[in-house]
Amino acid sequence: MTEKSFSVDIRAQDRPIVSIDRFGYHDGEVTFLFGESGIGKSLLSKAVYGILDQDALAIIVDRQPYGKHCAKAWTKEIQQNSFFVFQEPSSHLNPLMKISHQMTEGSLAEKKFDTEILQYLWQTKDDAHIRSIIDIFPKPYRPSGGEKQRVLLAMAFKKISFLLEQSKKAGANFFVFDEPTGSLDDNYRNLFLKLLFTAFERQPFTVMIITHDYSIISEIYKSYRHLLDKVHFKELSRKKEHQVVLNDFSTKEYLHWLYETGQREVAQTTSKQVLKVKSSFSIFDRSLQIHRDRGRTMPVDLEIRQGEMVYLKAPSGIGKTTLAKIIMGLYRPQKFSMDLDKYSIDENTPRSFWYTKLWGKKTGMVFQHADEALNLQAKVKETFKGLPIKGMKDSSKIKKRLQELFDGELSDSFINKRVAFLSGGQKQRLNLLRTLVMNTDLTILDEPLNGLDFVSIKKVLALLEEKRKQGSAFLIISHNEEIFDTLINTDQVYYLSQVK
Amino acid sequence: MLKKKDQLWFIVWVAVVLIVGIWDILFLNKPALRKVVTGFGNTVIISLLVVMITLIQGWCITLCLNTLQGAKNKSGYLFLTFLLNLVRSIPQIVGVLIGYIAVTFLIVKGTISTNLVIFPLLAFIMSTFIFLEMVDLMRERIDHYKKLDFYHAMLVCGISEGRIINFDILWKNSRIHIFNKLISTFGVAVFLQCSVDFIISVGLSTDVSAVNLPITLGSLLAKIDSKQDILAIGHTLTNPGYIGHIFFEHLQGVTVAFLLVVTLLCIFKISNGYSERHRL
Repeated sequence: MTEKSFSVDIRAQDRPIVSIDRFGYHDGEVTFLFGESGIGKSLLSKAVYGILDQDALAIIVDRQPYGKHCAKAWTKEIQQNSFFVFQEPSSHLNPLMKISHQMTEGSLAEKKFDTEILQYLWQTKDDAHIRSIIDIFPKPYRPSGGEKQRVLLAMAFKKISFLLEQSKKAGANFFVFDEPTGSLDDNYRNLFLKLLFTAFERQPFTVMIITHDYSIISEIYKSYRHLLDKVHFKELSRKKEHQVVLNDFSTKEYLHWLYETGQREVAQTTSKQVLKVKSSFSIFDRSLQIHRDRGRTMPVDLEIRQGEMVYLKAPSGIGKTTLAKIIMGLYRPQKFSMDLDKYSIDENTPRSFWYTKLWGKKTGMVFQHADEALNLQAKVKETFKGLPIKGMKDSSKIKKRLQELFDGELSDSFINKRVAFLSGGQKQRLNLLRTLVMNTDLTILDEPLNGLDFVSIKKVLALLEEKRKQGSAFLIISHNEEIFDTLINTDQVYYLSQVK
Repeated sequence: MLKKKDQLWFIVWVAVVLIVGIWDILFLNKPALRKVVTGFGNTVIISLLVVMITLIQGWCITLCLNTLQGAKNKSGYLFLTFLLNLVRSIPQIVGVLIGYIAVTFLIVKGTISTNLVIFPLLAFIMSTFIFLEMVDLMRERIDHYKKLDFYHAMLVCGISEGRIINFDILWKNSRIHIFNKLISTFGVAVFLQCSVDFIISVGLSTDVSAVNLPITLGSLLAKIDSKQDILAIGHTLTNPGYIGHIFFEHLQGVTVAFLLVVTLLCIFKISNGYSERHRL
């Protein structure tokens, strides 16, 4: 099959956003696209697909104005034959139209909607349950993020099934799935992959999957090894400022690293307890329990010792972040008890206690979304000012700290850059560093690998390991199960569940 | 520059003031010119002082309310809120008028005499009835950020609440909103000043007279010669041939009225342009 590539240059009114000489995919094959968040994966795919806003951006594709690219027969053909699954499902769905109607509008109207795909993606035969999800007007909270994502996947699979029926008459196609599994757990992600590759085996079509989920590689090697010659793994990386380059991603390197990580010996931790959370607690009229076993039978206290990395697991929405915020004193629970360092804390402990004794002194927390956790209007160096540690007023010392997670010689212009102008991956690294520089006894990391590329993931994990060896304790919440399951011993894994 | 409407309108304002100034130098008699220049200068200086004091008052009271709220000091918080609401309940024009009367009494009694004291005092009176809008804006911004992870993420890093509120929220993330409010405060100050000066100038009592207050555009407008000039504009409606005389023989009143209208219009346009440019 041929490789199709485009040169793309995208600029906003006042600054260049992304520019690449060769961006593309393999025709009639599957391309997985990795790369740190904010580097331009979605934007470039949308540019090629012909759906960017020409009024808001100055776009050049193959050295021609964007209008010409959009007017090409090829562009119109792929738009007619294919589907673009957006990263943020809410932005794709029209809030003023029932989901069931949206599933049969436009080019989706060509074929009656088959509920079989929905039943498969929901793993149910109950049609009433499916109707309760699609016979509604979408709202930010309803259906849930994961359900909206599955609705969009169902729309894409409807187009795929239509394409398969048309056989080769349909012409060019280009299906783009932008973070299709971002809100799905591993089980649903594997269902999506099964549906995709089953259709692909019937008749190949062109697919690009933009993802940060590196564990997808292991699943493909495990379940679809026979299709590996039709699957490509690419990575978008930064060449200089806004210029990016598309390279092959070495899956072997990732799998080897994963293997090596699993083989390494974890140094013994000391017996000094840093945190002990009582097994049962309640908040927002919900009771939650902590367990050691996957079956969630026996509740146990969550214990973290000095130099230990503990992994807290639970399906989305159960309350992992809620527990983290309770430990950090940001949420007031109805029933709760914990020992943190030498302090006993419960639901009646005033918030001022955390302010005076714990925040930045004994405990720190990295929040899930760097975009929300950082001051985007501040300069990079200002992110470190105000922290309760010495030396953070000196630019050279800030640069030294930044080099723990940033490559090369850091320029003055970088540390004086506004955080808003950093890529998503750079923001996440800054978000992590702001907390890690404080070397607190306990650090809670909520989705620490969010939006990072593989190189940055390795760096972050190496830094965490270094801090752990120095005696810091970590409580980790993450959807990157494969990586943390490999990194953390099973006896340091806890499960959270809701008491029914 | 054409896209930055706020800057364009600022330039228009400065240009118009300069052109009017040059015209007046050429065609307005010296004593009247001196009055117009003094009146315009005083109006601008007092309005700028109002802007400064409003910012200081607004910021300080916002921090006080935030501290009382954070310290769970209910009685202190309620007392301060009650006082602020009391001020809020007084119509701006009435409040400023009463304040001006008090200042006039002080001037008549000889307690205060120099402009160095009178100007800030007048500005303080005016800002007392304006600054609550600034407090509302600042509190709204703080409340918005307090609901986000932005605030919590900084708190758990041990960054002091004072720095988060003053630097990260108000300075880094709200200064555009605050500046926009200050632009409109300048406009309100010009308008209030002229309204009150005009009311006082037409005479409230024998003791409270514009004679005792610094000359402003408002008080100039109320003077008999300015009134005659304004009436002359009306005269041109029935006698269009008289229009040429307006720009040479009735310059004092016409200049004052024109400067007032142009200033208020330009501030309105500057504020709108600024909001538009920063998508407020």
